[in-house]
Amino acid sequence: MAYTFRGGIHVEEYKNTHRCRIEALPAPEIVTIPLSQHIGAPATALVKKGDPVTVGQKIGDVTAGLGCPVHSSISGTVTDIVKKTAQNGFNVEYVVIQNDFKDTVCPDIHPVSKKLTEVTTEEVIGIVREAGISGMGGAAFPTYAKIQSALGKVDKLIVNCAECEPFITANHRLLLEQPASVINGVKILLKALGVRTAYLAVEDNKMDAIEKLEEMTEGSKMISVKVMKTKYPQGDERQLVYALTGVEIPSGKLPADVGCVIFNAETCAAVYRAFAFGMPLISRIVTVDGDCVKRPRNILAPIGTRVTDLVEFCGGLVREPKKIINGGPMMGAAQWDTEMPVTKSTSAVLLFSEGFGRKSVDTQSCIRCGKCIRNCPMHLMPMYIAQFSKIHDLKRAEEYGAMNCVECGSCSYNCPGGVEIVQHIRVAKAAIKAEKTRLASLSQPEK
Amino acid sequence: MDKKIENPSVPAETVPAAEEKSAAGTGRKIRMPEMLTVSPSPHIKTPDTTATVMFDVILALLPAFIWGVYVFGVRALAVAAVSIAACVGLEAAAQILLHRPVTIGDLSAAVTGLLLAMNLPVSVPLWMPVVGAFFAIVVVKQLFGGIGKNFVNPALAARVFLFSWASEMTAFSADGERVTSLAPVLTEGDFVASATPLASLKAGTLPSETIFDMFLGNHAGCTGEVMSLLLLAGGIFLLVQRVITWHIPVAYIGTVAALTFLFPRYSGMPIESMLYELLAGGLLLGAFFMATDYATSPVTPAGRLIFGVGCGLITVLIRYFGTYPEGVSFSILVMNLLVWYIDKATMPRRFGGKSNGK
Repeated sequence: MAYTFRGGIHVEEYKNTHRCRIEALPAPEIVTIPLSQHIGAPATALVKKGDPVTVGQKIGDVTAGLGCPVHSSISGTVTDIVKKTAQNGFNVEYVVIQNDFKDTVCPDIHPVSKKLTEVTTEEVIGIVREAGISGMGGAAFPTYAKIQSALGKVDKLIVNCAECEPFITANHRLLLEQPASVINGVKILLKALGVRTAYLAVEDNKMDAIEKLEEMTEGSKMISVKVMKTKYPQGDERQLVYALTGVEIPSGKLPADVGCVIFNAETCAAVYRAFAFGMPLISRIVTVDGDCVKRPRNILAPIGTRVTDLVEFCGGLVREPKKIINGGPMMGAAQWDTEMPVTKSTSAVLLFSEGFGRKSVDTQSCIRCGKCIRNCPMHLMPMYIAQFSKIHDLKRAEEYGAMNCVECGSCSYNCPGGVEIVQHIRVAKAAIKAEKTRLASLSQPEK
Repeated sequence: MDKKIENPSVPAETVPAAEEKSAAGTGRKIRMPEMLTVSPSPHIKTPDTTATVMFDVILALLPAFIWGVYVFGVRALAVAAVSIAACVGLEAAAQILLHRPVTIGDLSAAVTGLLLAMNLPVSVPLWMPVVGAFFAIVVVKQLFGGIGKNFVNPALAARVFLFSWASEMTAFSADGERVTSLAPVLTEGDFVASATPLASLKAGTLPSETIFDMFLGNHAGCTGEVMSLLLLAGGIFLLVQRVITWHIPVAYIGTVAALTFLFPRYSGMPIESMLYELLAGGLLLGAFFMATDYATSPVTPAGRLIFGVGCGLITVLIRYFGTYPEGVSFSILVMNLLVWYIDKATMPRRFGGKSNGK
């Protein structure tokens, strides 16, 4: 029996690229590397216009607070540092680097010389931070901070290889082609956390990867492979923890509060590379797919590669795209910029033509079929929250659990009425948060 | 929701050289567009729409309806045609007058029209389905905000509204006496009136039809309510298609079965009495097709069970103690009014939460 949870949906899988080997993209002429790629403070540029840079050289860092450094993914010259509006609506600095095609590697890069048994937890955290590793599944939380926050609290490490989003096969290919790097990364993380149990959670639509991993972990007392039912959103951390341990993470708490810490498969591989080669996180596997792409592929792309370069590597376009999505089709964000760069959390770039995957009708009216309630993995009543959000009744939206929503989009996916349920809930959540901040600032005495 | 935002990286008139390259092999130049669609996730959806759901309901209703036409004559078809045309036409008219998008394509008005026709005796004057359609679509549905916002089931509300003309609504033609006259208003000689099985039960006698006849639809009643076998088949089709869930029909029919078995009206024969109660008076039509109407039934599984039990209870109470022999329509309408409260009281336990809705 495969592990699973209650609720969720079966989505059309579109795993067109599951047989496409990971192909390394020849270093592009130009990369644009954002200095803020995740939660936390944006990095400050350490280079300026005209500076030469090498592969793996640190080009930005955070001096205080949460955040991790950013490295150059190619060697060449910094041609510009520009400010652009990023996906989150903030102005973000991008370092533009022109490739000199010499592939000079930064001289600071060297493997960790100690044996794993001799490395301390603090050293691991330091190495992971210096390598600029953040969660590569989508949420992109800085990995060193996750290790810190989990220290002493957890007894299980879960490697999230569920990959429940349609289209994406980047993790699947990684597990098939480089299982050792993932498993070695897990060993390093286990050592750092002082934990003795690790689960590799893989959905049962990747049986070949499961067999491979079972072979690799045979005889291991610490690492075991767990077969998950193929269902969306199996890769959501709350559902993953529940499916594997039977424990529900209480509202507003984190996996660490129930003794679990979760890492994405590729994050583990990145940790391994930082140890074995000293190479920081400067490239990642990206599934490039969608009905506009001529030859969908899995590409190992330098961070900062622009969409246009990825598309060219895939043989170009077969029809005009109307939507470019960073990430999976269920939770990824539509881009407005064809120059969008690959970041540390870009697991896929999807190019959809007009109307792809949409309904034929545009009217949005709830017919109260109750499907969203049946499917909600958080067991909420999405259609009610959406209605309260529409009339700006924040009190009742909160009462009905708006803040518990994980925004997986199962409700919108299955809504026959075509209501953008999850978007209405997002609006309510943002408004509730803003209202709370406002009230908090009112209660503070003025200075 | 789709919002077009001008692509800041592409100058309005020129296209960057990198994008000028032709798509290999096709010989056709396909460029990156100047404008991209920015809309919220998810970016893919099921192809199921309100129209496909409503189409399934129509498919499920059709066999029982066609049987009704076979039993009661071609006039039943005329009543349905008038009813559906009036519902669809009035919906479009109301939406145009109210400056709303016209949504007759979602087929919900057609379903209301078909259900209304199936809930009328074959001999009604042809203006009655039009009046019913007006009440259902304009008053109950559109004036309360359109699809999903109506507070009671439109077809049932219309049927009860039409009881203002009680004699027309209760003139049931006898089985085997097909009405072929399409005259707008029938005169007495056009059909032979007959007592429905429930009227017999009310009078304290067992109906003259056998239970087998009841099952096969050989008895007096409204066009769509007589053919139990095909109504069951339609209900099962809806369950299989996952248009409805089992909760309401099972709770509804189960409650009626339990009550009529424990307190049979024709005492001494509890099983027969129960079967007559289940197969007559549109209970199956109501339980599978009317009580499960999305807009007017609870959305939670527990709420649906409560709703079904409530419908069953009120149906039996009206049948036993009311002056009118049938209780299905009234029971569903009463329970419709409680849906909001039932939903709220049966809020599911949240993932990671403590108890009801917390």
